[in-house]
Amino acid sequence: MIGINAKIKRGSGELAILALLNQEPLHGYEISKRIAQVTGGVLQFNLASLYPLLYRMEKRGWVKGKWEEARSGRQRRYYHLTPKGKRQLAPLRAEWGMFFQALHRIAGVTPAES
Amino acid sequence: MVDGQELISARLGELGLATRREEEIVRELGDHLADHTAALEARGVAPDAALREALDSVSNWPELRQEILSVEAEEANMNYRTKVLWLPALGALTLSSGLLAIFQFLGLVPRFYWLSVTGVPLAVPFYFPWLIALPAIGAVAAFWSQRAGGKAVHRLLAALAPPISMLGTFLIGPFIGLLIYLLIPLFSDGAGHRRIRFPLYAPSMIGVFLMLASWVLLPAVGLLLGAAPFLRKPQAQG
Repeated sequence: MIGINAKIKRGSGELAILALLNQEPLHGYEISKRIAQVTGGVLQFNLASLYPLLYRMEKRGWVKGKWEEARSGRQRRYYHLTPKGKRQLAPLRAEWGMFFQALHRIAGVTPAES
Repeated sequence: MVDGQELISARLGELGLATRREEEIVRELGDHLADHTAALEARGVAPDAALREALDSVSNWPELRQEILSVEAEEANMNYRTKVLWLPALGALTLSSGLLAIFQFLGLVPRFYWLSVTGVPLAVPFYFPWLIALPAIGAVAAFWSQRAGGKAVHRLLAALAPPISMLGTFLIGPFIGLLIYLLIPLFSDGAGHRRIRFPLYAPSMIGVFLMLASWVLLPAVGLLLGAAPFLRKPQAQG
């Protein structure tokens, strides 16, 4: 499996997290697990790459962390998408769409066959 | 169950953040580590190996620590500047303007000194009661910034906020006047001659300088006199 360059991964992380939290609130480990599952392991965020990103998004007001009881009965810090974060989804999706379109035009980038 | 918090704390070290925030970060990262280890054990990995693999997922703990501190500092920097500069500066501006308004309400008017420059009379105002009160305002602003942990430059700028803002007015005012003079046709008569001449000649330039001295330079000196003791002292701790 071809790994994704760290910088590309970092840039796409915000969109991935916002898209997931738009479906339901999740805690950090669930976010990293869900991203890996949905992308078939292509995008992986570990403890070191995930939490600075989450904290930065929280400072911007895109997500809000709250301690809540998890399904396991233990307290976990769940992240909720804020209205401000929700408003970021469409422009971020458009931005990445344009980016891939441009790459396709110049370098013939097409979705990899799964 | 793995004590993730203790392991995270040992690897990140003290972050130097507010206690509550630091505890929250360590707890959250510890929970992630514990969940990751438990997931590996559920796949049949031995407990020791699972913990080792979860810890090894972070290749550079000092870098993670720096990234977390960097994110936390972004907000802290904004709040610091507000506390040590903008609020004390706003306080100085409010006190200075408020005093001017009170003096005028009390009937204390500026004293005008008349000068003759190339035959043109110029009135130079000096608002002595206000000028005398300025050292106290400078002292208040510098002390406020110092108590908030401001450096000498913050204390100085906070104290000098009133003349700095007045200087801005003096710099912008002539340009607005020139714009009005050039653009608004009301200021011209039928023959195309402007009824009001834009005062770009020596006596008015000297007048502007004297106004600057009266409303910017002298007040700056007064404020600086009050702020001076607080510029020399070391900044307040904590």
